[in-house]
Amino acid sequence: MTTLALKQVQKRYGAVEVIRGVDLQIGSGEFVVFVGPSGCGKSTLLRMIAGLEPISGGELAIGGARMNEKAASERGIAMVFQSYALYPHMSVYKNMSFGLETMRMPKPEIDKRVRKAAEILQITPLLERKPKQLSGGQRQRVAIGRAIVRDPKIFLFDEPLSNLDAELRVQTRVEIAKLHADIGATMIYVTHDQVEAMTLADRIVVLRAGRIEQQGSPLEIYNKPVNRFVAGFIGSPKMNFLDVSVVGRRDDGVVIGLAGADVAVPLVERAKIGATLGLGVRPEHIRANGAGGTHLGTLTITHIEHLGGQTIVYGRLPDKQALIVAMEGQTLLNTGETLSVSIAPEHCHLFDADGRRLAD
Amino acid sequence: MSITDASNAGPPLSVRLRSQLGGYGFLLPWLLGFVVLTLGPAVSSFYLSLTDFGLMGPANWVGAENYVRIASDDPRFWTAMRVTFTFVLLSVPLKLMFALAIAVALNKGLRGLTVFRAIFYLPSLVGGSVAIAVLWRQVFAGDGVLNQVLAALFGYEGPSWISNPSTSLYTLVLLAAWQFGSSMIIFLAGLRQIPQDMYEAASIDGASRSRQFFKITLPLLTPVIFFNAVILTIDAFKAFTSAFVVSDGSGGPIDTTLFYTLYLYQEAFTNFRFGYASALAWVLVVIIAIFTALSFMSAKYWVHYDD
Amino acid sequence: MTDTVYASNVVEAAAMPEGAKSSPLKRALVYALLTAVSFIMLYPLLWMVSSSFKPENEIFATTSLIPQEFTLDAYRRGWNGLSVSFGYMFLNSLLISVLVVIGNLISCSMAAYAFTRLQFKGRGFWFALMLGTLMMPQHAVLIPQYLMFLKFGWVNTIMPLVVPKFFAIDAFFIFLMVQFFRGIPRELDEAAIMDGAGPLRIFLKVILPLSTPVLATAAVFSFIWTWDDFFAPLIYLNDIEKYTAQLGLRTFVDATAQSDWGALLAMSTLTVLPIFILFLLFQRLLIEGIATTGMKR
Ligand SMILES: Nc1ncnc2c1ncn2[C@@H]1O[C@H](COP(=O)(O)OP(=O)(O)O)[C@@H](O)[C@H]1O
Ligand SMILES: [Mg+2]
Repeated sequence: MTTLALKQVQKRYGAVEVIRGVDLQIGSGEFVVFVGPSGCGKSTLLRMIAGLEPISGGELAIGGARMNEKAASERGIAMVFQSYALYPHMSVYKNMSFGLETMRMPKPEIDKRVRKAAEILQITPLLERKPKQLSGGQRQRVAIGRAIVRDPKIFLFDEPLSNLDAELRVQTRVEIAKLHADIGATMIYVTHDQVEAMTLADRIVVLRAGRIEQQGSPLEIYNKPVNRFVAGFIGSPKMNFLDVSVVGRRDDGVVIGLAGADVAVPLVERAKIGATLGLGVRPEHIRANGAGGTHLGTLTITHIEHLGGQTIVYGRLPDKQALIVAMEGQTLLNTGETLSVSIAPEHCHLFDADGRRLAD
Repeated sequence: MSITDASNAGPPLSVRLRSQLGGYGFLLPWLLGFVVLTLGPAVSSFYLSLTDFGLMGPANWVGAENYVRIASDDPRFWTAMRVTFTFVLLSVPLKLMFALAIAVALNKGLRGLTVFRAIFYLPSLVGGSVAIAVLWRQVFAGDGVLNQVLAALFGYEGPSWISNPSTSLYTLVLLAAWQFGSSMIIFLAGLRQIPQDMYEAASIDGASRSRQFFKITLPLLTPVIFFNAVILTIDAFKAFTSAFVVSDGSGGPIDTTLFYTLYLYQEAFTNFRFGYASALAWVLVVIIAIFTALSFMSAKYWVHYDD
Repeated sequence: MTDTVYASNVVEAAAMPEGAKSSPLKRALVYALLTAVSFIMLYPLLWMVSSSFKPENEIFATTSLIPQEFTLDAYRRGWNGLSVSFGYMFLNSLLISVLVVIGNLISCSMAAYAFTRLQFKGRGFWFALMLGTLMMPQHAVLIPQYLMFLKFGWVNTIMPLVVPKFFAIDAFFIFLMVQFFRGIPRELDEAAIMDGAGPLRIFLKVILPLSTPVLATAAVFSFIWTWDDFFAPLIYLNDIEKYTAQLGLRTFVDATAQSDWGALLAMSTLTVLPIFILFLLFQRLLIEGIATTGMKR
């Protein structure tokens, strides 16, 4: 089966280290999403897997065989580019058959594959058109079609949706998920959009500055981010971070002092009394107006965003720390008013001074 | 160019070799041409310039003698220098002025821009050909078109401008200036690069049109002017066909159109003094190099760059 | 993405609205001035063409551009005015120009592809040298080249005029193509690499088909410059049967001295005609070529 393994993979441009030792195992048929801020090296990592960039150090293995020296076309990989990179002078049909012709595949077989892929992607009526005569969404499909015909073991996507408008993006996202379910190939998908990552991935790999910060299923990453960076990057609106200090210790955790009250948070790791910690609370986990949980404090509202199904409230606690609350439904609150907010202990994330999550 | 570091420890020799071979494979024709037709000849022409090589006999080493003779004992060299410098120093500014003036006029959003542009460009496309030199000879001849027009309009009986030593060179300057079209196109392209909002901001500030030209257009265009000036100067130093055809290859009357290249040609291919002509060629290369270097040095005083 | 390949807005961008503010009177004045200058600019050319259709005695009798008596006599006299018919010389010119076009297209596109798309050691170094040759006057290499071709027995053949072009000697065209190739998205090459194509296949199937505008520009410029070239044929071609049209015309000037201006102008018109036709057909390409490289003619 086609597993993919990266061992201490590095990339240097001259003296600049862009990928700093990445270890990663990807199982057959898995949908893995690389996510991270712009410039963190996602594309570079993907391009090294594809064979478009030489690997400066470490090893890439596909199906157990070392691939570092193999040409891109010999790796059993297809790639969908951000700009689609369709050949402008070729028809849709030609775009899809070009790679197969390069392989010297017999004409009837090429034709069969192209038509089948076109069928799957519902672009059969477009086969004779040139890319210029297609809409953005159609170009996107052709780009995927060009990948499909080669029947690759591994698909690579580099931010494939970033050139589409919001509606098409959602629609295509669903289609890519369906495609994965249908053909069952391994897919590696790069995005800086955490919603895409959450919705598509079997496993998310969060990258920062050329290193893997955390990998795991979307919910693992959401529920147990290993550090403040991951916690802040995944989830929208962003997680709130409050400076708190440890005021007491219990057998199963610590007690932290908040503006409103003290909260006992379950924790395996020990923390010194008096130590300053970072408390992470997701906006959607904060409850308003005493709807249970421990009182956090009284929020003075500075700004409100009404999204219809949700209301985002921006405010400040009495100790001036900023806090964002995401409330279900609609409210009649106004800027300047106050809101009493509370939180359940199980939704508290604690980070030490270096931003590392304290084990719970 | 951004060049990705090929020395990365990644791929083994065979893979890297393959990509090197691909690169050099495609570059091979140029590389061969460069070595055999440019580098080799350049070196050997420098060597020849230190010999007395001619049609007769082997090349004898004479050291710097050719250069010494050029500098101290060759009146025709100095004549050629005077003629060439006069030509360069007159034709280049004239061309630049015409090109800039017409480009600015055409850039005012006139209808028919493309037609005018084509008309002004045509002379620089055909101007280098023998036919146009022949035509020029005719236009400025004693019984030529110019004198016909002058006679018809003013009753003035003009001389033969071509065979009159005091005007012959200026007919060639005029021929060069007539070919300002390609510089004009480059200026037009440069004018298009100037952001519109600069003019809008300036006119809100109440700047007059002429002030806008001198404070915005001209400064922002200086890089293009500079570029054009350098290219035109190099070209002007190399001018040949017009002088050759108009003077029947002699540089006459009495050497007043003896362009440097024409003198070089005569020495090499009429008198077959290859050694001496090689020295002349290197002097020309050095003159052009000095001129270019001086232009680049002057650039920092008048060329406006964004950063 | 696909659209950026061809977009060269340098030339056809919307004209400045600056002029929208100027008064109608001023505009009319600018038009009048431009028209007058155009006429003066074109007058010699128009005169050349019109005189070539006039009988000899009418050429100098009037400054009018319309022939009173239209005749092709001058063409007949000129065509056979030398010991070898001008037809031969036109064929020679055509042959040389076409071969030069082919040579330039092949060799310069290969070099430009290597410089823009392939990775190899020393690329930056060679590229700098190539740019250097753009500026270098040919005179520095002229004499040894001549001696070399003499040794090869190539003097008085078209070889010295044609063969160097198959070795990308015209750096201008490399530069022109480099500029264009740089505008072709690199992701297209990468897509082709993923499709298993090697450098040659990418060059032939992706880069070249997308480069037809620049190839056409290079072809037209090559043709015109070669057609117009006087210096190289003057040096290398000795026998009148081998002459190009330009050389023939030059010889014709000597031969007729000033006795038959009609025939001379007729032949002049004919040698300019191909250039003029190419100009009419490819004006836009030529102008864009100049605007994007910022280089001559
Ligand atoms: N050819 C290159 N030379 C030097 N640095 C590069 C090159 N390509 C990318 N980089 C650098 O590598 C880093 C990662 O780039 P990339 O992988 O494109 O980021 P991402 O896709 O995550 O936005 C960036 O900081 C970028 O500047
Ligand atoms: Mg990227």
